[in-house]
Amino acid sequence: MATFEYRQAQEIRDSFTRNGCRYLFIGKSGAILLGFPDTTQDADLFVEKSPANGQALVAALRELGFNLTNQQAGEIERGKDFVQLKNGPFDLDLVFAPDGIERFEDAWRRRVEVDGFRVCSIDDIIASKVASNRQKDRESLPRLMSFREYLAGKTKGPNAS
Amino acid sequence: MEDPNAPKPIPKEWLEEFEAASRRPLEQRMRYAFIRTYKPVLDDAPYRSFDTMEEYRRWCEENLPDWLGYGRG
Repeated sequence: MATFEYRQAQEIRDSFTRNGCRYLFIGKSGAILLGFPDTTQDADLFVEKSPANGQALVAALRELGFNLTNQQAGEIERGKDFVQLKNGPFDLDLVFAPDGIERFEDAWRRRVEVDGFRVCSIDDIIASKVASNRQKDRESLPRLMSFREYLAGKTKGPNAS
Repeated sequence: MEDPNAPKPIPKEWLEEFEAASRRPLEQRMRYAFIRTYKPVLDDAPYRSFDTMEEYRRWCEENLPDWLGYGRG
């Protein structure tokens, strides 16, 4: 599998938008879209769990070139909590119920849009990593928290008290 | 007493990296960010699904090498 590229992120954005699929980039791929300088391998998407969104998601994934069997499509439409796809042009993790975030609607309200990409807020990205408590997340948290401070400082501007 | 929730100062080196990244266009940032290395077991199936996150986390702990970092604390 080749490295995930900007062009492929654009294809996700465009295909998901065309199909009316509600999604948010989450995890380190989301943080990178927000400006976080670090490395990662996969794109992670937090996807709304609903029948209509599941159908839109399957349509978008097939449009992008993922080879889904009918059984796999059914699982995605029903919304399993976690689906790992390595049967398409790039690797993609679909998370329907990330640790540390109560409801998709809440994260959607707090989302950030970057060049049309819908991205979880840095607070939600950090909350999900804190809650999942994996070794690799614990290692990245101090830097992510510093990045949150950096973003907060930028929002306030240089003259803020 | 020190507030444990108070923001900590950003290490100088990180601050410089954040500022440098903010000057780069998104496309360039993403080119630097996404890398590809083989992850044993994890990369060996074209599709996996889990009913719950707990099931997924447990599967990672039972099947992936520790050094990949998917184990919980």
